[in-house]
Formats: sequence, C-alpha cells, structure tokens
Amino acid sequence: MKKISVVIILLAFGLILAGCPPRKIVQPEPQQQPIVAPQETREKAAEVKPEERITEQQIAKVETKEVETPKYIEERGVFEDIHFDFDKYDIRPDAKPALQTTASWLLKNTSAKILIEGHCDERGTNEYNLALGDRRAKAARDYLTALGVTSGRIEMISYGEERPLCKEQTEDCWAKNRRAHFVVLKEAGK
Amino acid sequence: MIEKSKVKSQKSKVFIIFFCFSLFTFHFSLFTSLEAKVYIDINSPAFKKLPIAIQEFSGISGKEISDIIHGDLEFTGLFAHIDRAAYIENPSQPFNPRNWTPIGVEAVVKGSIKDGKDFTVTVSLYDVFEGKEILKKEYKTEKELIRPLSHAIANDIYKALTGETGIFRSRIAFVAEDEGGKGIYIMDWDGNRITKMGLKGNLVLSPRWSRDGTKLIYSAERNRQWGIYLLDFINMTERKVFSSKGTNMVGDFLPEGNDFILSSSKDGTPDLYIMNLKNNKIIKLTSSYGIEVSPTVSPDGKYIAFVSDRGGSPQIYVMRRDGSDVRRITFEGSYNTSPSWSLNGDRIIFAGRRGTNQIFTVKPDGTGLTQLTTHGNNEDPSFSPDGRYITFSSDRDGVKGIYIMRVNGESQKRITPKNLRAFGPRWSPN
Repeated sequence: MKKISVVIILLAFGLILAGCPPRKIVQPEPQQQPIVAPQETREKAAEVKPEERITEQQIAKVETKEVETPKYIEERGVFEDIHFDFDKYDIRPDAKPALQTTASWLLKNTSAKILIEGHCDERGTNEYNLALGDRRAKAARDYLTALGVTSGRIEMISYGEERPLCKEQTEDCWAKNRRAHFVVLKEAGK
Repeated sequence: MIEKSKVKSQKSKVFIIFFCFSLFTFHFSLFTSLEAKVYIDINSPAFKKLPIAIQEFSGISGKEISDIIHGDLEFTGLFAHIDRAAYIENPSQPFNPRNWTPIGVEAVVKGSIKDGKDFTVTVSLYDVFEGKEILKKEYKTEKELIRPLSHAIANDIYKALTGETGIFRSRIAFVAEDEGGKGIYIMDWDGNRITKMGLKGNLVLSPRWSRDGTKLIYSAERNRQWGIYLLDFINMTERKVFSSKGTNMVGDFLPEGNDFILSSSKDGTPDLYIMNLKNNKIIKLTSSYGIEVSPTVSPDGKYIAFVSDRGGSPQIYVMRRDGSDVRRITFEGSYNTSPSWSLNGDRIIFAGRRGTNQIFTVKPDGTGLTQLTTHGNNEDPSFSPDGRYITFSSDRDGVKGIYIMRVNGESQKRITPKNLRAFGPRWSPN
C-alpha cells in the first residue's frame, strides 16, 4: 500500500511538473529532436573560442610574360568600313559596293593580306558584343571569299564595343560604331 | 485520470513514471536549445532588425576597427544601429544590461586592443535581454591586416547572431583600365585595398573564380588573339590554357575544379565547350548557326545557363551539362545577356536591355522575373557567396565603376573610385 501511494505521489508530481496533456503523448521524442538539431548555433554560443590568428595569403603581382610582338605593319584607311544594324550581322545592301571594291583590290594585289575587325556599338553587353563582332567580321569575310578571295589571306578579330570610332551617345554615333573595319597587313621587316 | 491509473497494474505505473521522466528531460533539452537562440532569423520574410550597439574599441586603431565592423553589419540591412551618442555606458565600464535596455539595444559589442609585437584584439558580444556574454574571443594579427581582422570579427558576430556564415572577408575580382590596356584587379568586397594584379591585355574580360577560390580564369586579347588564361593564387602564376583563331571567352568553372566552360568561335560560330585543365581535352556542347556565349554553371553542376541568339535576339537559355534539354527562360525584352547563377541555385541574375541595361533576377524555370536597377546602364551582375548581395558595373555616375547592392535591390552603392574605369566584377566564393 505504501508503495502504491509513493507511486501515486510521484506520478502526480510528474504530471504537474511536466504539465503533460494527453495530446503530447502522441508526439514521439525522436521527431521533436531534428527541429532543434540543425541549429548549429546551439553549441557555438556555449563554446568560447579563445583565440584566432588572422592571416591572409599575400597577393603578389604576377606580370604578364607574353610580350606584344607585332608580326605585321598595319595600314589603315585603304578601304571603306561597312556598317550593320543593331544586334545584326547580315551584310546590308549598302555595304556591298564597298565589299566589292575591297575584293577587287585583293584579287589584283595577290600577295596582300587583310585583317577584318568586327565592332559593335556600346549599347549591348561586353561578351555578347564580342560574339556579335566576331559574327560581323565573319560575315564580311564570307562575302569576300564568295567573290573569289582565298580565306587564307583574311584574318579576323572581334573588338566588340571596346574600340568605338565615335564616343557620343547618339544614334548617328552608334551607327558608325557598328562596323567591320579592314586593315592591310604588311609583314614586319619587309 | 489518477482514479484510472490506480486500477492499472504496477508495470504500467512504472511505464508512466518513465514516460513523464522522459518528457521532463525533453523539456529540459528544449530549454538548453533556447539558450543558443538565433537572434535574427534572416530567412524569415518578417524578420525584425536587431538593435545593436558597437562600442568604440579601446586602444590604438580602436575607432577604425569598430567602424569597419559597424559598416559590415550595416550593409546587411539586418541590424538597427543605435547611435554612439545615445550610449549611457562608457566603453571602459563593464557591461551592464541596465544601461542598454532603456535605449532599446538588444546586443552590445565591446572590444579592446593591445599593441605589441602582435596586434591583439579581445572582443565580447553581449545579449542585453539575458544579461550575458554570448561570444568572447581574442584575435591576433599584424598591424597591416587590420581590415581583414575587423572583417573576421564582424563574421563571428554575424554568425553568433544569425547562425549563418558572413561574407565580410570575401573579395571581388574585376577589370579596370591600365596604362595602355586593361588589367585584372582584386579588392575587398567593400571596395577597400584595391590591388592591381599586373595581368594585362589589350582587352580583358570579366574573370571567373574557381569554386574553392584558389584560381581565376579570364579571357584576354594579346597579339591580336583571344586567349584564355588561368591565374593560380597558390603559386601566383599565370598560364595560357587555350587559344585559337577566333573569339575565345570564359566561361565558368564546373564544381570539380578542373573543368571549365568556354565560348569559342574556333569552328565558325561562337559555341560552348567544356575543357579539362589537366588533359586539355575539349568537348563541344552546342552547335547552332548563331551565337552562344556567357555560360554559367548551376551550383550542383548539372545545368548550364547561357546566352543564345537562336531565337532571333539574345536570350537566356538553360540546358543540361551535356548540352541536352535546352529551354529558353527569358521572354520579356529583346536583349537579355550576362547570366550568373546564385550559389544556392534558386535564382539566375542577368542584364536585360529595356532602353538601357538593367539588372534582373529570374528563377531557373523562367518564373519570378524581378527588376533590381533603374538608373544608368547596369551590367555584369553576380551574387555574393551567401546569395544575399549582388555586385555589378554601372555608368550611372559617369565613368563605369563597380557597385554592390542587397539582393532585393536596396543599398546600391559604388565601391570603386570615381576616376577608375572598371567593369566585370565577380564576387569570390569565400
């Protein structure tokens, strides 16, 4: 009997302390645990990291080793630029006469090499404009090869929006910058 | 209930006792977890700014250090700063919660500096409500490293209060104009300690970090050729990893670290390729008649977002890493370029042309388009490692420079000097 009353007292005590409503009983303990567990901060706050040495990797200067060694002497202004529409790389009808002049010059001067530079206006974004300039140079090259110039005589480079002819922010200026520019390459030392 | 228990067997009583006891321990364990509370739940949309007081540290450079910590925490937008003029407690007095409750402060930072052979800073962070110290730490360093030291302290305070890792020691790599060309630069995320790397080209494009932050890969035009170069921070060397006729542009690293994606027009039109840095093998991913540029890899390495004009105008597309399953994700506007994936993968940030170039974010499935900027031309966006901030370039103040903002577009500010023409920023992953 004594035993039983002790049990009852303990039980009552437990119920009061825990205040356990029957609903809680169905909540198994392991399911509650994960809610608390992911909080990394739990141990962090208690744990006192006494000391840390702050270091940093020294960033040394790395000089570019490649040096600019021009293979060619560039001759500009021999040919007329051709122009493109915004975000386009197809050859416009008004560009065809200039391309024909360039092609016939190349067909006469058979040892000459040229460089076609593809350019864009500033309105686009850097990387896309470089791809666009690449396509413009290639469109001009394809036109010249269709007229009989061998592709081995034509070099290409895209400068994207990086080398504008005209620096104002006007439609006129942008139209001038959307161009393919032709440069005659003469081998250095000749 | 007790009535019923009485009639139950002894065995079940023992069980009930045991059960209540276990509940008791469970309650107790809840109690301990409360002790290490998260002061600001930064992922909750309805979080409340935490009022914090950062006292001027005592000792040499004390003001500088406490101001840097203040600046770091301020930019997060998660803290309400209580002005130093309102402080009742003097920096030399011991922490007493009663000095802070009346002015509404909930967290207090105190620190002191000892200047000797080593520069030693002791920092304490207090919880006003509980009236106790929740962080105490000593930092040692050389005097030249005051800024990284202060950022390290800010990171620890941020971690203690939010449970998340701070980005205050991260850096931004970018391109700026040098004498006669362009070069790679690195600076702290707050625009301090701008370092010129000495790496040049006639043209240099936005660099990309490897996921471990030990390498940078970038494209440069030298000698009339577009090459791809790798800068290794471990041995501080530059190496040319790829060049060919045509336009070659990075790209992004895959998570493995030895593979990266590039756009090359070596076979005709600009297409995307994966290249391995160990064996120099190249795999072609796309082959369309048009332009394919600016690839960015999802955090899990399974998807690639990129720009293509296959639909008639430049738009953002997503495909699997092997080049399959291509789908377009931008439909508004006729010019959307420069995508960059957030490191948790939930958003892609890009530049869209709406009269001028503006920064937008979109979910990888093409929903949830959000515009973040409105003034000037804004380009080259990328996320901070925790995805909470964005760096980009803008010409809104005249000369193009580097800016940062919060992910919701708040607190836009220029971090590079007004006279330095700079663009192509990329936030370091750590």
